Amino acid sequence: MRHDEARESSTFNNIPALNNATAIDNAGIVAGVTANNVAVENNEQDKKPNRFARIFRREGKERGERTEPVGYLMVLPYVLHTLVFLGYPLAFAFVLIFHRWNIYTPMRFVGFGNIRLLISDPLVWRALLNTLYFLLIHVPLQLAVALLFAQLLNQKIRARAFFRASFFMPVVVSGVVVTILWQQLFAFETGLINVALNSLGLTKIGWLTSPNVAMPAIAVMATWKNVGLYIVLLLVGLQGIPSHLYEAAELDGAGAWQKFRYITIPALNPTIILVLVLSTIGGFSLFIEPYVMTGGGPVSSTLSGILYLYKQAFVFGKMGYAATIGFFWAIIVFLVVMIQRWVVERTETERM
Amino acid sequence: MGIIKRASTVFLLASSLVFLTACASPQEKQDAKDGRVTLNFWSATNPTELDFARRVADEWNASQLNVRVVVQAVPTGQSSEEIVLAAVASRTTPDIYANASPAEMQNLIDANGLIRLDDFSDFKDAMSERMSPETLRRYQSPDSHFYQVAWKQNPVMVLYNTRMLRDAGIEKLPVTYSEFLTAASRVTGETAGVRRWMLVIDYLPIWYKRLFDFYPLYLAASDGKTLVDNRQVTFDNADAVAAFDFLRECFARGFVPRQSFQGDSFVKEQVAARFVGANVISYLDKILPADFEYDFAPVPRPDDMTGGAVTYADPKSLVVFATCEHPREAWEFVKFMTSRSNDLRLLEMTSQLPVRTRLLEDEAFADYFDSNPKMRRFAEQADRTRTLDSLAETQEIFDIIAGEFEAAVLYNTKSSEEAVHDAARRSQRILDVQ
Repeated sequence: MRHDEARESSTFNNIPALNNATAIDNAGIVAGVTANNVAVENNEQDKKPNRFARIFRREGKERGERTEPVGYLMVLPYVLHTLVFLGYPLAFAFVLIFHRWNIYTPMRFVGFGNIRLLISDPLVWRALLNTLYFLLIHVPLQLAVALLFAQLLNQKIRARAFFRASFFMPVVVSGVVVTILWQQLFAFETGLINVALNSLGLTKIGWLTSPNVAMPAIAVMATWKNVGLYIVLLLVGLQGIPSHLYEAAELDGAGAWQKFRYITIPALNPTIILVLVLSTIGGFSLFIEPYVMTGGGPVSSTLSGILYLYKQAFVFGKMGYAATIGFFWAIIVFLVVMIQRWVVERTETERM
Repeated sequence: MGIIKRASTVFLLASSLVFLTACASPQEKQDAKDGRVTLNFWSATNPTELDFARRVADEWNASQLNVRVVVQAVPTGQSSEEIVLAAVASRTTPDIYANASPAEMQNLIDANGLIRLDDFSDFKDAMSERMSPETLRRYQSPDSHFYQVAWKQNPVMVLYNTRMLRDAGIEKLPVTYSEFLTAASRVTGETAGVRRWMLVIDYLPIWYKRLFDFYPLYLAASDGKTLVDNRQVTFDNADAVAAFDFLRECFARGFVPRQSFQGDSFVKEQVAARFVGANVISYLDKILPADFEYDFAPVPRPDDMTGGAVTYADPKSLVVFATCEHPREAWEFVKFMTSRSNDLRLLEMTSQLPVRTRLLEDEAFADYFDSNPKMRRFAEQADRTRTLDSLAETQEIFDIIAGEFEAAVLYNTKSSEEAVHDAARRSQRILDVQ
């Protein structure tokens, strides 16, 4: 059990850091996560999981009275970075909630005007529903596909490194490029998908022009784009499962499905939580795909919260209202992640 | 320690140096060399207007010893509105700008980007020479001052391929909804494998596209009532519903193609009609074959209305920016540019109408309209135009309308009444934020 606990705590410790970085499809983060998991492995071997924490505490006590200026200098870059790029914008955005400001003209105080507008703005709620719809398709699909491919790529197959690299490729390629590519695929008259459907004798589908299909189409595209990252995360998890568990199961006569269901899935649970949380947060920041492909249409069916925020800020010059939407969105994301975590933790304890 | 201290000092110095040089980008004024004052003038980017501005500036420079005008096209970017506002924010505006649109006026004023032109003692006289007090009032700002000289307009009308209409048995250009729809039902169809449609509309749900279909239709139906009065939305009415219904029917009955064409579908005679401004004439004359027959008519209006339809003026104004160091000289040039002779030149070179009341009765322009009968249609329309309301929220209100247009007209997900009502309610909420 210690095994699982250690893993889980390491997984959750990562989340705030990832949150701050916002760029979820960042190769650096993958490396960080990987390194962290490796560290967990090492700790287990040492049987001293809290070694680092203890060292820290001891040093703190010893040096308690003395202040070391070099220390401040060393944390200065991080503190400065936090203040300038996180603290200041956050405080400024909070001030903006109560103002109307288009960058060019002086700020004007509007009290709770922006908040009142937000509550009565059907497009905000539309964007929220759209996002939830997107998540409903995207997250399970992402998880299923990532699990499948991680499992496949964990087998001893030929050209394994090649396949691993190629599934990761869309993550590295610029989102705009991928989106434009898929826009071509989805095109009504000339798109490859519709041409293929046509040659099979099926009717063409308005992938990006039909209000009912556009969001699922974008969800599929986003899955294709991001799944490589989650494959890698799950692969790391898979490789951390001790092989003796499988050997023991085989001796007991377990089949492939049983091994998957009763060993792989439980052992991967922390990673699955990570994948869930990351792709949920990623889903809430959906922007490039609708911005490039549909502009939020047709009939606002692909309008995402961030796209609406962007339009308010940079098309209509309403920084105050955009900030209000931004805070609202952050609160929603926070709530959703809290609920997710709560649900997952509860099922976890139930199982034990 | 010493090394760290020194390194951080160097770093601080270096970064502040970078910061300072970035801030203090000195604004080069080309004055001085010969003692002449230089005025920078931004024109629209299209070649005919740029040519026109250069010609006017050349003439001015030849006759003026103290003031020189340098013409530049607006730097290209996403939209001229954004470029100009960004220039205002960074105080890098030129002295005079020729193409201020009514949608951006209020933003420019709010940003303290413009000088008040009615501070010049001869402003009223210069304006009353050009336009009626009623027209002038439409260009007045809510603070009752004037920041713009209404320069030119391109009233929105409907361009028809008269031969296509005649072939379908329509002799008289339609002016009412039912006349238009009857003509449309006859023109639209397929003969010998060639498909034809009545009307082409750029139906992308982008706010400014609605300035050229919904807005003129609404002005025609409401007999010139604009969308907002004193920050109260006024378009939640039957006239707006009528305009929506008309567009809806055009799309529902297939009179408007829902596809994109290679090239200009009107020129290729695939489509018989289009919403246009006067400036289309100089374009058509360049590319159409001699036997192509076209004409213009006011935008369609509801059947029960009489008289000529009011339409959107699509005006552009001359403004002087607050960064101008020689406002008096700039004002003199603005007056020169809007003189009778230059207004005539504007007509001749760009086929755009100067904002002058009763243009057709003015002798200076008589010859021109005699030899350009098609421009006469626009001149006749010119006194029955409206501009946009002076609001900072104009773009957003039109974006809301564009969204409802998409829902009701293109996708049929709500009725025209609902669409108009929803658009009006949301617009009002935005205006209420202040």
